Amino acid sequence: MRRTSWETLTTKYPALFSIILIVVALLINLSLQPNLFSRDTLNSNLRVFLPSVLLAVGQAFVILGGGIDISVGGIVSIVNTVLAVQVGLNGSVEKMWLYVGISLLIGIICGALNGFFIAVLRLQPIITTYATSFLFGGLALFVLPNPGGGIPQSIANIYRSTTPLGIPLGFYIIAILILLWQYLRSTRYGSYLYSVGGKADAAYETGVPVTWINFSTYVISGLMAALSGIAITMLSGSGNAEIGSPMTLTAITAVVIGGTPLSGGIGGITGPIMGALTLGIIQNIVSFAHVNTWWETFVKATIIVVALAAPGIINLFGRRKS
Amino acid sequence: MLKKSLFYIGMLTLIASMILSACAAPTAAPEVTTAPATEAVQPTEVVATQAPATEAVQEPTTKKFTIGISNPFISSEYRTQMIAELIETNKEYMDKGLTNELVIESVDTDVAGQIQQLQNLMAKNVDAILVNPGDVNGLNATLEEAVKKGILVISVDQELNVPGVYNVGIDQKEWAKTSAKWLAEKLGGKGNIVQIEGFPGHPANVVRMEGVAEVLKDYPDIKVLASDTGKWDEATGQQVMSNFLAAYPNLDGYWTQDGMAIGALQAVIAANPPKWPIAVGEGRCQFLKLWEEVLKDHPDFDSVAVANPPGVSPTGLRIAINMLLGKQVDKTKLGGVNGLSFVIPVPIVVTKDNLQEGLDICKDKPDVYLLDGIMSEEEVLSTFFVK
Repeated sequence: MRRTSWETLTTKYPALFSIILIVVALLINLSLQPNLFSRDTLNSNLRVFLPSVLLAVGQAFVILGGGIDISVGGIVSIVNTVLAVQVGLNGSVEKMWLYVGISLLIGIICGALNGFFIAVLRLQPIITTYATSFLFGGLALFVLPNPGGGIPQSIANIYRSTTPLGIPLGFYIIAILILLWQYLRSTRYGSYLYSVGGKADAAYETGVPVTWINFSTYVISGLMAALSGIAITMLSGSGNAEIGSPMTLTAITAVVIGGTPLSGGIGGITGPIMGALTLGIIQNIVSFAHVNTWWETFVKATIIVVALAAPGIINLFGRRKS
Repeated sequence: MLKKSLFYIGMLTLIASMILSACAAPTAAPEVTTAPATEAVQPTEVVATQAPATEAVQEPTTKKFTIGISNPFISSEYRTQMIAELIETNKEYMDKGLTNELVIESVDTDVAGQIQQLQNLMAKNVDAILVNPGDVNGLNATLEEAVKKGILVISVDQELNVPGVYNVGIDQKEWAKTSAKWLAEKLGGKGNIVQIEGFPGHPANVVRMEGVAEVLKDYPDIKVLASDTGKWDEATGQQVMSNFLAAYPNLDGYWTQDGMAIGALQAVIAANPPKWPIAVGEGRCQFLKLWEEVLKDHPDFDSVAVANPPGVSPTGLRIAINMLLGKQVDKTKLGGVNGLSFVIPVPIVVTKDNLQEGLDICKDKPDVYLLDGIMSEEEVLSTFFVK
């Protein structure tokens, strides 16, 4: 099989296309919204995108390992409702930190449950996480049947309007995530993860602890979902058991736009992060391009579809030439 | 194995999307090409619209107001009718030179997405925002930011408890009480009924069911045999009603609301019980037409339809524009928790006596049309503003 240089490039650098995509999207957004790079605009955009970014990172681990996790929205909902009910609108900072810790624990437990079913009991990831998504969503509804509650506004403002050194908080979080990932990649765990996602059988035969690697991806996904739940709670300041369910698909789309195929074994987290940011920017573009109301959904979906299809189209043309 | 099938699903999606994108490419293209032009115009525009918005304007002709709409849910006829009427009503004011084209943010989205909608509206320097909130509390902080920026914020259809944010809508509790009272009186204060409710936990459903319970408290001889959710969905409503009819064939009446009433009535038609229950209906043309059909075979059948008007939003637009013009709101006319709620009366209640009137309204309307009412400019001024 002959490979075009584009294919070689994207195999070597899976995030390449997503970076090109986000640059193009940013340029279009900037031309429509000239103050895009002002501190306040950047911050208000990033604080909205960050919950999906965190969710996409967790999802990327699972997909890299060859699985999929569609229960993450349910975990976001549980964390959101627990924080909104337990901390409350007049809660103290100490209480908030305590429940942030508990939230992370909840995420890990939920992820471990998924991991147990899928890695240990060898159940189908799609079906299992589909089922547990209702389990988690149902629990959230039990914690908070009617939308309400919340966290103190002063705490929400830490998330909403902190810009250390004039740079929005989101940038720091994204930078930390990418650095952590670069480190993790170079460890033995990193190479195990790729081998399990690429060819689990072969990995098993060469002594890779496939079960534990699989298990760990769901735990990481659960943890990231909990972080995402904390972020969205601080963004909205309130509780709603339905808050997470629409976020799952956005996260998966972000991973795929970010150049991580659902077949596993290829990609990283930089791409999915770019993918999640790009999805948000696309919404901005549609919003600022004065698209007719009745066409808004169609135009937005079209841009996403084009973004998803573009690498395939480029490959197609590359093959024709050669 | 799964990995492989997932991969194929991915490939299929890709292929499908390529085909789609191929057809759709021309639509996306103009958008990109218009970009440079907008860029050139923008800076001057920004300066022009940065003047504080809520101040009383002496000469309305010097500045046109820009009003933003935020709607996070599009898959319902209520919202479609709402957006269409907003555009229509705004044209009146555009003709008078008072407003610019509406800036409408309307796609299916979640809480974060609606926050983004609102932030984008702020970035576009709108003078007022009409928001139909997808979450009762989740937008609070963002809306407060908008209020602080001097933007007039009005929540339509759903009451919010945010300082500085006005509400325009019907009283959901009264709305439910109207049909519940009608049902109780038609039953002569005695009988067995069932209830089909909307989404449990949805704020509108919660206050509506409270209203029904309050009414029924005064009629101790009316027994609620069962209550179930029809999820505001016609098919589910039909299914739930079928089950009820099978379990309680001698039902005297039932209470339901929005969207599910058509399904419930269809279930009654299908089951055709010896004694037809007294039915609570809904203010939609399709229901009125079904009602008319039923009356041909069952002249004793009785129902009621209380309109839940999407017109509260265009009424809210009129209120917003008059407030922007600096007209004084009569605070004594406002209600709600913060004393910032404009309560709009229900425009029409259809019973057997005025069914023909309702059907006349529906004559040239699609089946999904909701009986509606938009307050006129004069009505808004005389009802809510200081003369």
